[in-house]
Amino acid sequence: MKLAENPFFVLAIAPDASRIEIEREAQKLLGMLELGFEAALTYATPLGPRPRTAEAVRAAVAVLRDPYQRLVAELWARHAPSTLEAAPAVTATPSAGLRRKLGWRP
Amino acid sequence: MAETPLYVGIDLGTTNSAAAVFDGERVSVVRNAQGATVTPSVVRIDKQGRVTVGTRARRFLEQDPSNTAGEFKRLMGTDKAIEFPAAGAKKKPEELSAEVLKALRQDITDQLGVTIDRAVISVPALFELPQSSATSEAARLAGFSRVELLQEPIASALAAGWRADEDATGTWLVFDLGGGTFDASLLETRDGLLRVVGHDGDNFLGGRDFDWAITEHLASLLPVVPSRSNVHHTAALRALRLAAEDAKIELSRGERAQVALAQPLVIDGQDVEVDLELTRATVERLCAPLVDRALEVCTRLLASNGLAPGRLARIVLVGGPTVMPFVRQRVAARLEAPLAEGHDPMTLVAQGAALYAATAGIDGRAVSAAPPSGRQVWLQYPAVSSDLTPHVVGKFVGPNDSGAPAKIKLVRSDGGWSSGEASVAPDGTFLTSVTLLPRRACTFQIEATGADGKRIEVSPPALTIVQGLTIGDPPLSRTLGVALASGHVQVYLERGAPLPARRTFTHHTVETVAKGSKDSVLRIPIVQGEMSAAHLCRLVGTLDIGGDAVKDTLPTGSPVEVTIELDRGGRLSARALVPTIEQVFEHVAHLLVPDAAPEALDSALRDLRRQLMDLRTDAFRHGLTQVIEKLDRIESRLSEAERDIDAAHGGDADAAQRARRALLDVDGTMAEADLARKWPELDAAARQAAITASSTVGFHGTDAERTLLQEVLAAMDKARKDKDGPELERQMRLAHRLSSAAFNRTPEAWEWYFDDAASEISRSRDLPKAQTLVKQGKAAVERGDTEELRRVVKALWQLLPDDSEARKRGFDSGVR
Repeated sequence: MKLAENPFFVLAIAPDASRIEIEREAQKLLGMLELGFEAALTYATPLGPRPRTAEAVRAAVAVLRDPYQRLVAELWARHAPSTLEAAPAVTATPSAGLRRKLGWRP
Repeated sequence: MAETPLYVGIDLGTTNSAAAVFDGERVSVVRNAQGATVTPSVVRIDKQGRVTVGTRARRFLEQDPSNTAGEFKRLMGTDKAIEFPAAGAKKKPEELSAEVLKALRQDITDQLGVTIDRAVISVPALFELPQSSATSEAARLAGFSRVELLQEPIASALAAGWRADEDATGTWLVFDLGGGTFDASLLETRDGLLRVVGHDGDNFLGGRDFDWAITEHLASLLPVVPSRSNVHHTAALRALRLAAEDAKIELSRGERAQVALAQPLVIDGQDVEVDLELTRATVERLCAPLVDRALEVCTRLLASNGLAPGRLARIVLVGGPTVMPFVRQRVAARLEAPLAEGHDPMTLVAQGAALYAATAGIDGRAVSAAPPSGRQVWLQYPAVSSDLTPHVVGKFVGPNDSGAPAKIKLVRSDGGWSSGEASVAPDGTFLTSVTLLPRRACTFQIEATGADGKRIEVSPPALTIVQGLTIGDPPLSRTLGVALASGHVQVYLERGAPLPARRTFTHHTVETVAKGSKDSVLRIPIVQGEMSAAHLCRLVGTLDIGGDAVKDTLPTGSPVEVTIELDRGGRLSARALVPTIEQVFEHVAHLLVPDAAPEALDSALRDLRRQLMDLRTDAFRHGLTQVIEKLDRIESRLSEAERDIDAAHGGDADAAQRARRALLDVDGTMAEADLARKWPELDAAARQAAITASSTVGFHGTDAERTLLQEVLAAMDKARKDKDGPELERQMRLAHRLSSAAFNRTPEAWEWYFDDAASEISRSRDLPKAQTLVKQGKAAVERGDTEELRRVVKALWQLLPDDSEARKRGFDSGVR
């Protein structure tokens, strides 16, 4: 999971939010996005503001509904520093050759 | 909005269909003209072309079978047309389903006096995309302007959970044995939210198989035994089957039943009198293996969610066959959990669909064309909310002639509550919340006032929210992705992803698409399934970029941005954007469920048998008991498939589809068995992976990564202990991802990638270009320019080929 996509950031709620609070905030945000509220269009992360979409909100709620996934998300959200220097976006998967070097089957 | 809402749910079943309506407080089942709550899904077209649906049509199944059709739901999504020779008509399965929907729609009008236009229709959880889109098409043909599809188990759980007490928290199992499909779903209710934890099922197990088991037993008692593979015996078998069905229902109450036909059957030119006796014990003996097959699915589902039997709070039984006492006893005993009482297993799904229509805010009535009076406001609020204090978000739009509203207040119509005044922002937006009454539908009047304190009329003048169980967004039942030229699948949407969902990835073309050339087509295959190898997934559609459509020639390696989108009901749309020529391709060729020709099935069966033999010899040689057990199960599935293929030769299209599915499943299981055979190799790889990941993450990882790796390592240990190959592979991928993330952060990572890619350039598609890139890369290494090096490596990866064998397995994918 990428830090900037942490569901607690997407929904702008505290990591100890109750289940009801999560649902309530998500429903509010979806409504605001649907009607084009300026305030709902971005959310704050330690890596700077990110655009918020209805898909991201729905995905965030789905993650937080699953107890195990929520635990992982909480862990990341709690340990996140308040700001980070912009780290390079590393997303590429290494080639099969490297995987072999690292000792995995291709 | 002033009148009570009307939400409509329809259960379009294999053997029976039903409709229900929900008014915000009560759910009622719609009765048909005969006064029954269920309508048989049977359609008859007579000589004059008149269409009869339901009980009246079902009577003709025996008398006039060639002009009467049932069980067409199982053919949905295929292009198999059903013939009605008397009228000279040919109908597709969705057209017949449309007739059933029309009949139900008429029943609702007769009973409630309103024409409905929108509804929620339930579909089996394991329906594939072509089957779902055929269902939407049926609804369109029946005159619905908008429908949403809902998975049946969610519908049943919603209906069962709605009436349960508020403290009914815990895990539920919905055991839905329908006419043609079996679904098992695990659900959890907590804090008023219903969540699907997981589901499993058998798309081809149902009450129908019970009937066939009894029919075959009865047939074996006759002096001349009719066979399912003989086309001339079809009529006799059908008559026998209808008698078997009646006897089965009779035996739900009595101990024995008489199976006697008024007219003798004609088999091979001989008259055969049928006068047999059937006892409950016989039926139980015949059907027990089928129930056990369903129970096996349940135990598998419980195990995969780490739940021991006996930990279930309740089991909800759905579907006609679950009325049989021995089925109820067997299920309760085996799963060691109480059955939920007081639900009608025949209409529960329709009731749930109606409740769901409320949660999705789909009012059944046609939208009135009355012009709005007053200031128009767009509102966003949950139509059903488990939360007692949900938010209401709104925005004033339209002409501003009666002055801008400055304050807004919501007043509950029972007069017991009103919101404080919320202020409206200059752009017309406002945000407030309301307080609901438990388990009730609450209507709130919207009172807007201008800056001068004068009332402003608004449209709509009120809104209604029902307090009840909310349901999470429907989860995607099968992983969806794009097959790549390497034969692997790029996953777009994981199984369980909340719908609606949309995802975009950038791919690169593997060959040139020449402008104007009809023959050069770039294919983007869309597949569904849980396997990472494309050929083990189902191809559900293709997006083609043809040479005759492109504005300009697309060289190899051109980027293509593919977006896949699914709506709440699981309807698929896909789009490919080619940025270099600024063109969008969005015509998805939806595939039908492939036709299952008996000859093709024969040869597939032969292939699988041969593979099975190889695997078995190998397993015996190495004494792998676990693998042998797995192979035995495959063997019995193959024998079953063989029987179905026999019936397919006799012209039974449904049995053919079923055999096709079974063979596909066996293919997947075989791959797993193969994995088990390669266990030692996999085990060693896993150990190696654990060591490498520990050191990479240990040196370069963050704290959080280290914590996560600990969890992954624990999961790997567990998978190794359980000898669970697929799970181990999954965990290895996670470990690998963590260590790559850590590794990519190191300065030497990209140098390493570069060396690796550079060593393979002799295989590249464009050698001069690759050589230039290598030169640039070397310079970047010397300068220590990581940014540039990364660019070079990525460009090099684009030039390295995929092998053609792999590409074939990837459904001739033209992207990587």
